[in-house]
Amino acid sequence: MMSHEPIQTLLNANEEWAQKVIKDTPDFFTQSATGQSPKILWFGCSDSRVPESVITASKPGDIFVHRNIANQFHLNDDSALSVLTYAVKVVGVEHVVLVGHTNCGGAAACLKAAEDAAADTGAPQPDTPLTRWLSPLIALVKSLDLSACSASEALDKVVQTNVITQVDNICNSEPITTVWADPNAKKVTVHGWVYDLARGHIDELVFREAQA
Amino acid sequence: MLRATYIRGPIIFRSLFVLPSLRFPPLRNMSHRPLQTLLNANEEWAQTVVKDTPDFFARSATCQNPKILWIGCSDSRVPESIITASKPGDIFVHRNVANQFHLHDDSALSVLSFAVKEVGVEHVVLVGHTNCGGAMACIEAAKVAATNPSASNPLTRWLSPLTALVRSLDLSACSANEALNKVVKANIIKQVDNICKSEPITTAWADPHAKKVTVHGWMYDLAEGRIKELVVRDSQA
Repeated sequence: MMSHEPIQTLLNANEEWAQKVIKDTPDFFTQSATGQSPKILWFGCSDSRVPESVITASKPGDIFVHRNIANQFHLNDDSALSVLTYAVKVVGVEHVVLVGHTNCGGAAACLKAAEDAAADTGAPQPDTPLTRWLSPLIALVKSLDLSACSASEALDKVVQTNVITQVDNICNSEPITTVWADPNAKKVTVHGWVYDLARGHIDELVFREAQA
Repeated sequence: MLRATYIRGPIIFRSLFVLPSLRFPPLRNMSHRPLQTLLNANEEWAQTVVKDTPDFFARSATCQNPKILWIGCSDSRVPESIITASKPGDIFVHRNVANQFHLHDDSALSVLSFAVKEVGVEHVVLVGHTNCGGAMACIEAAKVAATNPSASNPLTRWLSPLTALVRSLDLSACSANEALNKVVKANIIKQVDNICKSEPITTAWADPHAKKVTVHGWMYDLAEGRIKELVVRDSQA
């Protein structure tokens, strides 16, 4: 069935990968099935060009992952909060990395929405899950002074400011404030990164830890 | 035995996991070692890609055109691109606790919306896996009386639909292992049903001019490293 070709390719590739792993490390899967203990939680974008394990050469078991449109961490989002809670309190991660990236389609959409609103082109924003999801980022864009920026500088500034804002949100969340307030809890550090698509390179922007 | 379908790109993407682990010099701040290891590995990976395919990143930066949206679990043992030997650009991804697709969840709905309407994916795969910690937690939670979900914490609220699903299943004749597998499978089918009821899918399926989108329910067996297809749904043509 021609339209299922990408699916069959994926399934075939999975089969071949599984066989290679077993040949190389016969007990890898049976060991893996017994439990996970990743040290890192990755909050990133759903963008297909930023698969965390490929770009960091990681193995299954290394990174606990949550990916959504424009790598958001909203303080009222049960999806992200449940991941953070589970990762910190049950799995015991030590580092939370919030990763944005250049050429982010979500960030670009928010720039456009903010420009349209400023130009007052008349049509109101429809109330859809996507516009609701992006509304905090649109508000953030509106708060920035991008007047002296070229289009690509503006996008970079939005991507970076977004990363810092989401890191702030994570640091204000209950799982992090609780673990930072507890002197007996495991140490957890929060990091903000930007993945540069054109270089394949991760740059660290900020990191935060408990104030000792 | 390599078949034509396996030649999908630079060898580094397909076999990176089976290469010997990269060794890095120890660092003074020991607690940041896993992170520094990650960053060093990223640096080395980027250099290998550039050497192997000099224009890969420049091309990748211009746009994405994945055909597949993967909705899976946050579990560290199920990184979609490693287990399917995929390259950056192949799969649009949403991962959360216990691979849920709730019809009131803007996070999942915005991903599905963007993937179907903007990115133009042709396949949505909902992937559950064996030994799922979220499913195990729900089996335990189902044994006690139901609490008011809105009064509890984000994780309990997040898992309350799955806990309700567990309560609806007859697990009395099952061993613990059988019960977990039954819950993992029922969960996959339920989330596929939810996806098929969502606006982006019902709209795409009702429109004879829209791009064809198929929804699949898969189970990844951790102990074997293999994906099994459980269900496939198409528009009723």
